[in-house]
Amino acid sequence: MSGPEAAVEARDVRKRFGAVEALRGLTVTVHTGQIYGLLGPNGSGKTTFIRAVAGLLRPEGGTLTVLGRGAREAVGTGRIGYMTQAAALYVELSVDENLRFFAALLGIHDVDRRIEEVLRTVDLLDRRRSVVGTLSGGMRQRISLATALLHDPRLLLLDEPTVGVDPALRRAFWDHFRALAQRGVTILVSSHVMDEAARCDRLGLIRDGRVLAEGSAAALVARAGTADLESAFLALSESAAAPAAKGSARSATAERNR
Amino acid sequence: MNGRRVAAVARRVASQFRRDHRTIGLLLGAPILVLALVGALWGSGAEQVTRVVVATSPPVPAPVVDALRRVETLQVSTDTPEGAMQQLRDGKADAVVAMRVGVARTEIVVTLEGSDPLRTGTVLGAIQKGILNATGGTPAGGPSSPLQVEYLYGGPDRTLLDHLAPLFIAFFAFFFTFLLSAVSFLRERTTGTLERLLATPLRRAELVIGYLLGFGLFALIQAAVIIGFTIWGLRVQYQGSLATVFVIEAMVVVVAVSIGLFVSAFARTELQAIQFIPLVVLPQAFLSGFLVPVDQLSDVLRPFAVIMPLTYAMEALRAVMIKGFSIADPLIVRDLLVLAGFGLLTSAGAIASIRREVA
Repeated sequence: MSGPEAAVEARDVRKRFGAVEALRGLTVTVHTGQIYGLLGPNGSGKTTFIRAVAGLLRPEGGTLTVLGRGAREAVGTGRIGYMTQAAALYVELSVDENLRFFAALLGIHDVDRRIEEVLRTVDLLDRRRSVVGTLSGGMRQRISLATALLHDPRLLLLDEPTVGVDPALRRAFWDHFRALAQRGVTILVSSHVMDEAARCDRLGLIRDGRVLAEGSAAALVARAGTADLESAFLALSESAAAPAAKGSARSATAERNR
Repeated sequence: MNGRRVAAVARRVASQFRRDHRTIGLLLGAPILVLALVGALWGSGAEQVTRVVVATSPPVPAPVVDALRRVETLQVSTDTPEGAMQQLRDGKADAVVAMRVGVARTEIVVTLEGSDPLRTGTVLGAIQKGILNATGGTPAGGPSSPLQVEYLYGGPDRTLLDHLAPLFIAFFAFFFTFLLSAVSFLRERTTGTLERLLATPLRRAELVIGYLLGFGLFALIQAAVIIGFTIWGLRVQYQGSLATVFVIEAMVVVVAVSIGLFVSAFARTELQAIQFIPLVVLPQAFLSGFLVPVDQLSDVLRPFAVIMPLTYAMEALRAVMIKGFSIADPLIVRDLLVLAGFGLLTSAGAIASIRREVA
């Protein structure tokens, strides 16, 4: 499973926010060049895990390796692109100014050409001079993606990237993700939209900070014996919820073994 | 008017308050803090002692000296004329009483420090009282020698505004810069851009220094506007060099920006950031010499003044603008170094306050 081809290697990762245990021993391996989808309901720990991979929070337990090193170190190399759930942009600045700012932080040399490329990718080249505050939510989401793509990252972290994006553009996004993956870019994407999940190479069904089931969309459907991925997700969630006591006993054993 | 709807709004506002413990804490705690400060500042009733140095040559008539000694609020000592003036310059004395023997007449000369008009009035009043007592109601030293009042700094033509202008210059630059930097860095946190920045190779120190430079630029323009308007708009009289005034003001701005960044780590909303004004800005206004000179603070409050950056900024600005000190003067150098130290300390605090975990 592990080895040099793993872009993200998470073993029994734990994170707690006060009384809330957001990650309860999450184990995930994302291989290089793979599109790995984190699928789960709101509050299941998807965003927490992505933020841990982005080096924004330190897990309390378990190990997390990103591009062969610690998460924070990996971020320091500038090879990770991160798109947050809400478009985090400076609304007073123009699209071009926002991109230029992030380009400078990421140490990009051929700034003008790169900005043009990423804006073409998100189909907003004509809004380059627009002030971000005047753009619609979907457009801001696209600019946000553009900033994450600027430095041609090896690992792309996308936290619900297509929220507020219309279906046609959503398809274009995914075609682009696929093209990136074919060039060897690893993509870790969270979603609760099933048709998006079906486009991932591998899926992790997450609930209550744990991976319930892992595999390709087809494998998960076959395993659950359902007609589609949505039903498979529900069926697998329910069957995992039932032997919950068993699950916590297992993690207790893991604690002792450490 | 629907009572139920009004009640619903009122209930909602109250619930929001109840959830916001920090706001409640500040709402109730801040007035207590501020009132306690005011109480300690003005309520102590500490007798203000005026230190008078009598110059030994030419000798001041003994009855005059005795009368001065009899005034309770005066603390009288003697020194050579040069030593007495030096004490006045060093701030160790409030007034010097000396005799000036001229061809036509002999007069008593009272030299006052003069940089603080309020203080000047008190000091002069006490001395006049003593001298009048000694001469039985007639001007001291015999009918031919009237009391002559001179000033080391400034003079009777100085207004209260001239005296307060250096304090306003420091205070406003600090206040507005602090508020602006606290609120805008908070926006960086709340809009998620900080999280985005921390997921790039950008280091926290780079972020803080960048903020200092970016904000510093506008804060310096603001400082120039404040100084310019004070001097040319309000026609405040000043000594010293404006360049020195600007250098001191620049240090104030750096400290204010980094305190603002630091404080923003402890606020979740812009409202909470504004609530830090009574905690950060007001104590400095009360204790740094803005309302009461630092050397007149009680022993309980003086240690607080020592740890406040505005104390040093105000001291330096007054020394330059009222007394005409140059930037090379040891006092100004010391104040600038202390301010630089505060700047380093608060910047380090700001850097430390940006945790990776911005949840």
